[in-house]
Amino acid sequence: MKYVEFINNLIRKRVLETGNIVLFGQNITAGSCLSGLTKNLKVQKNGLIINTPNSENALCGIGFGLMMNKVPSIYFMKQQDFLLLGVEHLVDTYNFIRRNNPLTSFTIMTVVIDQGYQGLQSSLNNFGDFCSMARVPGFAITNRADGEQIINSRLVSPGFRIIGVSQRLFNQELLRVGKIYSNKESTLFQYTKGNKATIVCFNFSFPYGLELHNKLKERGVDSSLFSVNAATPVKWDRITQDLQKSKKLVVIDDSKSENLSCYNFLAEASEKCQMDNKIIVKRNFSGDWLSPNPDQLKINYDDIIAKLSSKSLKRQQYGL
Amino acid sequence: MRIRIGQMIVNEKIKKGEFKIPIHLALGHEAIAVAVDSIMRTEDQLVLSHRNIHYNLARIRSLKPQLDEYLLRKDGPAEGRLGSMNLANEKKNVIYASSILGNNFAVASGLALGQKVKRVKGVVIVVGGDGAIEEGSFYESMVFLKSNQLSSLVLIENNGWSLATRIKERRCDIDLQELSKSLNIRYAKLKGNDPYQYIEKLRMLRKYVLDNKAPLLLEVELATLGSWYLKTEECPGGKFVNYHSGPAPTINLSDGPRTENSVRDPVFVLEKYFEKNFLETTSQEILKNLKDEIR
Repeated sequence: MKYVEFINNLIRKRVLETGNIVLFGQNITAGSCLSGLTKNLKVQKNGLIINTPNSENALCGIGFGLMMNKVPSIYFMKQQDFLLLGVEHLVDTYNFIRRNNPLTSFTIMTVVIDQGYQGLQSSLNNFGDFCSMARVPGFAITNRADGEQIINSRLVSPGFRIIGVSQRLFNQELLRVGKIYSNKESTLFQYTKGNKATIVCFNFSFPYGLELHNKLKERGVDSSLFSVNAATPVKWDRITQDLQKSKKLVVIDDSKSENLSCYNFLAEASEKCQMDNKIIVKRNFSGDWLSPNPDQLKINYDDIIAKLSSKSLKRQQYGL
Repeated sequence: MRIRIGQMIVNEKIKKGEFKIPIHLALGHEAIAVAVDSIMRTEDQLVLSHRNIHYNLARIRSLKPQLDEYLLRKDGPAEGRLGSMNLANEKKNVIYASSILGNNFAVASGLALGQKVKRVKGVVIVVGGDGAIEEGSFYESMVFLKSNQLSSLVLIENNGWSLATRIKERRCDIDLQELSKSLNIRYAKLKGNDPYQYIEKLRMLRKYVLDNKAPLLLEVELATLGSWYLKTEECPGGKFVNYHSGPAPTINLSDGPRTENSVRDPVFVLEKYFEKNFLETTSQEILKNLKDEIR
C-alpha cells in the first residue's frame, strides 16, 4: 500500500466516526482530491464537506471561527507554502482561542512540498517552521506507526494542530515498522533499540534513518532509531539516555530552513552526552538549490558506517 | 449618551496614564453601536476589531467591568487577559475581537458557518473599518459568506482614515456598493448618526439576511472625534492630527458630552428628539451614576 492510500484510509475512517464535522479545502472533492489524500471523504448526516474558493487566509480563520462555535473541522491544504497566506491566524487567532483550552477540534492538514522538482516552492519543506512560530502542536507523518497513532489520536481531538504529510513519500510504499515507544504528545517515536549507535531523524527524514539502521544491522551494528515529528517542545531525555550508552550519534534533518529542529536537540545532546562520534546529515546549500532538483539527501551510508566504527571523535556533515 | 460619557471617563484616565495597554476610543461611533446592540437577539454573535469600546460598552451596559479589564484585573469580562484590542465578552455575545486588520472577517465567516451546521437561526455581525477592507481577507470572506449562504452583516465603519492616513492619501477609491454588486451581495449605507433611524434600518437588514440566508454589506459613514492641531517647527500654525488611539487631548469630561455642533457627533443628533435641558440633566445623571459605579 502506498503512503497516501494508507493516510487517506485512516482519515476517511476517523472523520466518518466524528459527528457534525466540517471538512473543507480547495479541490478536496474534485480532480485528484489532493493526489488522493482526500479521496472519497464522507461525513455523517449533520456534517459538511466544502470544496472552497482559493482563500487561504480566510479559510484558516474560518476553522477557528468554527472552533469558537464548537464545530470540529479539518482544513485540507494542498501545499504547506499556501499556509503562508494564513499564517497570522496561527499566531493571533490561535492565541485568542487557546487561552481557554478549547474542547473542539480544528486541524490543518497540509502537504509539505518536499519534492524538489516542484521548483521554488519546494524550498519551504520544514514542517516545524509553522509549528515553531506560535508553539502550534504539529505532527509530521512518515510511516505506518506514526501515521496510525497521529491520525487516530490527533486528527479530531480537542484543540488546534497542524498535521503534515510528505509529498515526496506520497507514492512510495508505506514504511511498515513497529514502534517501541512514543511520548504522550506523539511528537517523538522510537522504532528500534540498539547500543552501538543512536540515529535521530527530523522532519521527513525517517526513510533515510531507517535505511541507515537496516544497513548497520546487516553489518551487525545494532542502533536505536528515533524520529522527531515536530518542532514543538520535546523532552529529549529518552534520546540522550540512549546516546549516553551508545556514544555515537547520527542526526538526519532534511529541512531547508536556517533554524533546524535538530539544533535544539544537538545543543542538549552536546551538554549531556559524551560522544565518540557525531555525524550530522543535513542540507548543503553550496549548489543551485533553487532550481528544480531531485531533492534527495545524498548519503554515503558506507562512509557513515565506517565512521561509526571508529573510536575517535568525528564530526562530519553530509549534504545534498 | 452613556457610551459617550463612559468613553470620556476612560479618556480622562488615559490622560492620567492609568492604563498600561493601548486603548482606541470610538468617540463619534456611538450611534451604530447602540443600533447593533438594540437589534441583536440571543442567537446573534458579534465580532469586533481593535476599536471595540463602543460595542462593548453598549453590550455590557456598565463601565466598571470594562475598566477592570483595561486595568488587567480579574473582575474584567475576560478576567484581565484580553485588555482592549482583543476584548471579547462571550456572555454578551461578543465572541471575538482582533487587533489585526481583516482577521476578524475570516473568523466571523467560520462562526456563521458554525451556525449553519448547528442550524442556529442567528446572524453574525462583523465590524471592520475602511482600512480593513484593503486586506485580502475581506474579499475572501465576502466570497465565502456568499458562496455558503451564510446569514451575516458585514459592517464597515468608514471614518475615512487608517491611523494617520486619509483614504485618498493611501489608495484608490473602493466602491463598496459596486464591489457588493459584483458578488451579488446586497449593500446598504447608513449616515447621519441618528440612532433611531439606524435601529429601524438595522432591524430590516437583520431580517433580510436571515430570511434570505445571505450576507449583507453595510457601510456606515462616521467620524472619529477627538482630532487636534499639533504645533511643530515645520507647522507653526498647527498640523492636523486625526485621533487614532490613546488620549484625545481636546476632549474633556468637564465640557460635557457634546463634542461638535454637527451630525458628525451622535450626541448632537439627539437634539432632534430631546430638549437641550433634558439632555443636559440626563447626561449629568449618567455621569453621576457612572462615577458612583466605578468609585
